Amino acid sequence: MQSANMLLRKIVRSPVLPFAAQHGMKKDLFPLSRTLSLSLCLKQDKSCEPSEKLDLDEWKKVMKSGLQEEVSETVSEPKELSSLAAARETLEMWRLAGRAVPEKISEEQLKTFMECPSKSAKKKYLKYLHLRELYKKNDKRKMDEKRQRKLEAQDQASETDETKKSSFVCLWSSTMDKAYNWRAAQSMIFGQPLVFDMSYEKEMSVREVANTVRQLVLSESCNRRSVDPFHIHFCNFKEDSLYQREFIKHYGEAWGRLLITVTDQCYTEIFPKDKLIYLTADSPKVMKTFDHDKIYIVGSMVDKSIKTGLSLARAKRLGLETAALPLEKYLLWSTGAKNLTLDQMMHILLTLKDTADWKKALEFVPRRKYRGFVNKPVKELKKTLDLINTLKLGKGREEVEKQFAKNYPKKYKLKQK
Amino acid sequence: MALFSQTSQQGFQALLWKCHMFWPVSRCRQLFAASFSIPTREKINYFSFMTSSSTALPVDPKETDVLPTKKRSEIDCREGKEWDEESKEIPEGKFHFSSVGAAKKWSMNRIQSRHKFSNVQPPEKPLQAEEWSKLREDFQFPEIFEEVMLNSMIKCNSPIDVAKSLLTHLAKRNGDVAYNVLVKYLTLCVQQGQVSEIRDVYDIMKVRFKILESGAYNLLIKGLSNSDQWRMALTLLEEVKKIMIPSRTCYESCIKAASCHQEMKLAFELYSEMLAKGVVPTLDVLQSFFYFSRGMKDAELQKELFGILLYLRENQIYPHKTFMRNIKLWFESIPGGNWKGRLTKIKDSGQCPVCSHQLEESNLTEEEYSNLSERIIRDVIHGTDTFRKTSPKEFEAFQAFVESRLPFDIVIDGLNVSHIKSKKMQCENLFDAVNCLAKENARLLVLGRKHMLTNSSNWKREIMKEMQNKADFFFAENISEDDAFLLYATLRSGKHCKFVTRDFLRDHKACLSDSLTRHLFRKWQRGHQIVVFPSAEGKSMNFLPALRYDCVVQTTGDTWHIPYKDVFEEKFSFQVPKKWLCIQQK
Repeated sequence: MQSANMLLRKIVRSPVLPFAAQHGMKKDLFPLSRTLSLSLCLKQDKSCEPSEKLDLDEWKKVMKSGLQEEVSETVSEPKELSSLAAARETLEMWRLAGRAVPEKISEEQLKTFMECPSKSAKKKYLKYLHLRELYKKNDKRKMDEKRQRKLEAQDQASETDETKKSSFVCLWSSTMDKAYNWRAAQSMIFGQPLVFDMSYEKEMSVREVANTVRQLVLSESCNRRSVDPFHIHFCNFKEDSLYQREFIKHYGEAWGRLLITVTDQCYTEIFPKDKLIYLTADSPKVMKTFDHDKIYIVGSMVDKSIKTGLSLARAKRLGLETAALPLEKYLLWSTGAKNLTLDQMMHILLTLKDTADWKKALEFVPRRKYRGFVNKPVKELKKTLDLINTLKLGKGREEVEKQFAKNYPKKYKLKQK
Repeated sequence: MALFSQTSQQGFQALLWKCHMFWPVSRCRQLFAASFSIPTREKINYFSFMTSSSTALPVDPKETDVLPTKKRSEIDCREGKEWDEESKEIPEGKFHFSSVGAAKKWSMNRIQSRHKFSNVQPPEKPLQAEEWSKLREDFQFPEIFEEVMLNSMIKCNSPIDVAKSLLTHLAKRNGDVAYNVLVKYLTLCVQQGQVSEIRDVYDIMKVRFKILESGAYNLLIKGLSNSDQWRMALTLLEEVKKIMIPSRTCYESCIKAASCHQEMKLAFELYSEMLAKGVVPTLDVLQSFFYFSRGMKDAELQKELFGILLYLRENQIYPHKTFMRNIKLWFESIPGGNWKGRLTKIKDSGQCPVCSHQLEESNLTEEEYSNLSERIIRDVIHGTDTFRKTSPKEFEAFQAFVESRLPFDIVIDGLNVSHIKSKKMQCENLFDAVNCLAKENARLLVLGRKHMLTNSSNWKREIMKEMQNKADFFFAENISEDDAFLLYATLRSGKHCKFVTRDFLRDHKACLSDSLTRHLFRKWQRGHQIVVFPSAEGKSMNFLPALRYDCVVQTTGDTWHIPYKDVFEEKFSFQVPKKWLCIQQK
């Protein structure tokens, strides 16, 4: 409503204003400049005027003159605003001031905004809404462009109308879906189980749960498309949980038809304990090979603020074996946390299952997090580097030699001076 | 970059000489002033980061550029020439762009891209509308031209008339001046203290918009409070209160204005209102109270100011040097008060060398002890899940172990101490420490992990055996946290018990949920932690004993002792200042 009003005002004002402004200007300037300027003054533009004559406060007049009709409006309105309306107004003003604020905001979002505990939380929430709005707009724009292109392509196609003959009816996607579903159904009977532990809802914020579910949906789809899918289990899954609501948002009708096992039982009740391995980045044990007889458990949790030891604690409580991916061993780590997203985890496990090739599997670790692959263990590399450095600098040489003598057999011994 | 790694004045001088080549002199002076506005520490750190080549890893040149955009842009406008390989010269010569940081996917989003032009040179004189139009057309992104231009005017502190001429051009073109442009203009006015202009902008805004947003209110209040129309800032503050909780800068401006005009009562009303609303005052506000109350004789006022000193005490805030000086001068200016302040350092014994007064002991009360123990068990050891740091079984075993052997005199973090000297075996380090501390029949408890018991190159079984004769040992699981046990054992042993570790215990403090307990924890830590550090060659190791006195603002009525920091910036919360202000009443 507010914005519509403003728009109206703008429209009303725009034709009137330049006119009014010019008139006002002339009134001010003419008495002064008449004696000075000759025929040139009759021109509309004032470029010939010396710059000292530039009226610097003119913008104020323009602003005020344009406001005359508005003043009467604002005065008549009651000053007191409800808190919601005030918040809406404030947001509008922030938007005008050029902050990251969404253009449209629903009542529900506004309430969420008001309930944010701190100023920074409010800012973050608004930025999030703003970015989401931008993404939506961009998507819409792209869709429209695509549609345009399609229409043009159709027009061209209709001109050159040829019926191609082929033995296949064009039903690629649905056929593929069927094939995938057969595979998934097979995995439900014969496949290696992979457990997602769904017991972390309490430790997460609403947005984190939403992110978790999105990652799970991605994982499920890439599992379905693989050559030899896992049999996915969602264990500790509570009915009517936030997880479920999010899943239904994503899958809709298909949620009931997914070829995975969803249960509220714990994995320890379904599988023998000695076969379970809980994958967690905090584990002191490092996974060496992928074991086809074991059942791996992945905690379905997104922890934006890294919650160290949460999943390890779960495994400890149940007395399960744990393992971490050998990221240190194979990658020269540069930055970022070693906890990976669920879909990355899924890709890595699928690749390991099919190829048992760590290098290939760990290509799914985000490229920004590591500098490169390591063919020798990092510890060895560090030793060599230290050695080179100390030899170069000539510092602590004896000590290095001692170390070297400790670590290597005699034949490599450096020549003593 | 090498030029910048020296923070000496000469380095800057040289740099500024370089700048002379392509900047007008007036701007150069401002830059000289500006270049010292960043704290030197930041500069050193960040440049050492830039120039460090100690990483033995292959460094991708692009990756070393991970500077925060803000700093980078600061540098941009200071150096001008340094990033020349990235900057594009427009034939006009008027503009000088430089792209900042890595272009992110959404950096072309309007809000982001505003930071990209840090080097647009605003004109020296007011321009005619046509000249502005021309400039605008030559600009890369005409739709944000005004914003960029005004931003650089604010940066260069251009004359206000130049900005006015731009607004006039805008008003002529659109018949309206957008809100964000008005706010930027307002920023410029506030920067230069143009009170009449600020009032004009306010009048226009008030008529044009129903309410304003926090940024504009902040500016208006700041601008008006520095003028003789400071009362208006107060009415504005009332207006803000209707819509939102005013920011602390708003309160700060108003309080300063009130106390500047000797309206101390009003200032303190605002101050208490601020505290009631949960807005944390800046040290600047607190300082201004002392500054403006000099020489006043008013019992009420004195009480209020003592209240502020107690606020510092409650929240364990250490004033910085200028603040401390203001406190001292205020005390000395009280008519007939006969206060005398001197700067001093407190001895280890906790005696003030000036007035030989013994400072407060840092011991907690019985109640505080039990409170803190409980909270350590609840928040640090158990937290959300006991299994995260230990296991219930292990913790029970530990509790039983401690109860059966109480009380200890010193609890040692075995693993921490064992790493003191990298050249020695870990068990030798620990052995030395235990030997040093085992004199005078002290009862020792060493906390470790089970892997210390397996015979290895670092842990020799014979040495471990020998140590176990001198001290009690408790070995936690290898994946358990031993620090939490350390805290618990020390607290359970009572107030005479100290603990030995180099750890600052920041993560454990962070587990405590409320600030009161955190303060209590710090206080207890200061009084009970013995820090070990390796001494020079040959000797075994040194111990930094726990503080005997409590390092907070304290008073006995006729004396005040106030610890202070040398620099303004926040010290790490575990470091305590060594310097004190001692104030006595003769």
